[in-house]
Amino acid sequence: MMKYLFLIVLYFIALTHVTAQIDQEELIYAKMDIAPQYELWDGNKTMLMGFTSLIGKPITLQAPRLIFNEGDSIKLSLWNFSQGAPHTIHLHGLDVNQQNDGVPSLSFEVEHDETGHYYFKAPHPGTYIYHCHVVSALHVQAGMYGLVIVKPSNGSNTTWDGGYTYDNDVAWLTSELDTLWHHDTIINHPHDPLATTMEIQNYYPNYFLVNGFSKQQIYEDNNSTINSAANEVTLLRLANIGNYGNRIILPSTLNSKIISSDGRPLQTEYFSDTIVILPGERYQVLLTPTIEFQDSIEVEYFSLNTENIEGIEKIPVDINEFLTTKLNVIENDFLVYPSPTNNKITVETNNTNGTIYIYSSIGQLKLSLDTKGSKYIDVSNWDKGIYFISFKSVNAIKTKKIIIN
Amino acid sequence: MSKWLILLLFFLSVQSFAATVNKKIYIISDSLETVSGDKIPYITFNESNVFSQTNPILEFQVGDSLSLWIVNKDSVLHHFQIKDGGNIVQIIPSGDSVLIGKKFLIEGSYIYFDPLDFPENSYLGLSGMLIVKNHNHSSFYWNIKEHISDWNQTLVTNGTVSWDTYYPQYFTINGVSNPNINLNQNARIIGSVNDTLILNLANTGQSIHSLHFHGYHAIILYSSKNASHVGREKDTFPIYPMETLVLKIIPDKPGEYPIHDHNLVAVAGNNIYPNGMFTTILITP
Repeated sequence: MMKYLFLIVLYFIALTHVTAQIDQEELIYAKMDIAPQYELWDGNKTMLMGFTSLIGKPITLQAPRLIFNEGDSIKLSLWNFSQGAPHTIHLHGLDVNQQNDGVPSLSFEVEHDETGHYYFKAPHPGTYIYHCHVVSALHVQAGMYGLVIVKPSNGSNTTWDGGYTYDNDVAWLTSELDTLWHHDTIINHPHDPLATTMEIQNYYPNYFLVNGFSKQQIYEDNNSTINSAANEVTLLRLANIGNYGNRIILPSTLNSKIISSDGRPLQTEYFSDTIVILPGERYQVLLTPTIEFQDSIEVEYFSLNTENIEGIEKIPVDINEFLTTKLNVIENDFLVYPSPTNNKITVETNNTNGTIYIYSSIGQLKLSLDTKGSKYIDVSNWDKGIYFISFKSVNAIKTKKIIIN
Repeated sequence: MSKWLILLLFFLSVQSFAATVNKKIYIISDSLETVSGDKIPYITFNESNVFSQTNPILEFQVGDSLSLWIVNKDSVLHHFQIKDGGNIVQIIPSGDSVLIGKKFLIEGSYIYFDPLDFPENSYLGLSGMLIVKNHNHSSFYWNIKEHISDWNQTLVTNGTVSWDTYYPQYFTINGVSNPNINLNQNARIIGSVNDTLILNLANTGQSIHSLHFHGYHAIILYSSKNASHVGREKDTFPIYPMETLVLKIIPDKPGEYPIHDHNLVAVAGNNIYPNGMFTTILITP
């Protein structure tokens, strides 16, 4: 009797000890779409597997961003709602122990309707990735990835204890998408616990993504665009979870200083307007503009086999001396019609303190105009295709698509 | 005076440990057996008359002198060169041999290869690792390559290929793919907590690779492409065609952790996952 009592006491002591050690708990769900629901820049929809904190909503490529403070003890739970394949979370770059590493044959996997728990200490401040490691070539391409950000122990806007202080924090997780890999037979692939191999297809991505978006979607994504005052410091976190290399080309006026990689400060920091990031790598860059300007940062996506550039995305940069707040998206005060058209388009907005930009489908600036009342734009000589019309002011942004036929 | 004495002592100490290393390697054409069991035309340097699908590792201590015979047992002309080793190209007709001598004074990882019709002969297998070291830590060696069955067949019959369309089918370390990489003693990293483990890498293929370590960060000790990267502590290491790297790993915990290409397509072999560039590091307490 005394023996059992002793064991029960030990159990509760251990339980209290474990509970007391957890500083932060997170729960995310693994899900898959049952139909193509994720809208790409051209209106096409594709199927995804992914991580979400919203069990009732369709999967997106904006998985929950996990933010921890250095040294905190974390309990990260994964609830698998996939209806099929098992999933895991690999904490890429966090150097967790084998049990929590998320590799099925060496750690554990979480079957449908089960919950798995990962315990670890948040390591060095920096930018990391999490992704599923079950048939990782397929599950990562399917959308099972997100960002982990580790801040200093006090949670402050500094790069690490004793490091740089910054005003704005922008993170880009780049990837590609080959829609042939998102077929129902792949996203909804059967789970055979005895199978040790799985067939994949040749990889020829047809969408190139920054935080899950392309083209005009990026211009509307406040999490991706760079908006700051000329005297502010922005920490740009770069992470590549695709299978292609990325060449990031920054305007020289951003005064970009590369300060760390893979969660560790560089011994020798350096200024550069070009950064190459290969699959799985991360870099942190301090942007320290001193003048007012508008431009864009270009991301080239190149094949690792041929080094040919297969895609380019542009992310707008707006450095305004007087800008102190983030841009808002306007919904009802920006009209563009008709579409499709082959003659002229009308652009209407009541906001007279902004600029209209028209971009081609590959992000080239075609035209920019001041906004004062209605604008009639003759497009009769323009090439046929898709164009994007953005209205931007100091506190608002909206982009619409038109087709010239 | 004391400066000269120190220099003399250094010179004598290097001389006392330096040796002349005699080696002979044979160029032999045969075939590489892939993870799928297919055999594809392949040519390698070999330490004996018997063909192996892994090129030998030529390893020296700093200060050593190499005396190397290269015997061409193939039916066609071959060349020989040590990249970044003086750019002297040796021409070796079929059935002939050459002797080269070289003294190694700088620590690092180098590539010896056949530069004829580059990158064709190198791609077909004729590219190996030459290591110059100045330590006695446990060392491991990865010669990274990719292969396309049809291309090897085309190239050995003097056909042409378009490198602009290169899409490899197989990805190997020391001539083998997962799960056989863990059986290769030179490739499989095994050690204990707090050991200093040295991984020598050479990319003798034509693709860029991005190698990701689970469990540990490693430090770049040598990079033939980016000397400024020496000292960086990372978990993911890009390696470009004909680049060499030397990494140091000091494991802080036991366990078995994957190391793999994070171009996840390269973790497959003949489109079967995970029969590609995937291995594990094994660390005991």
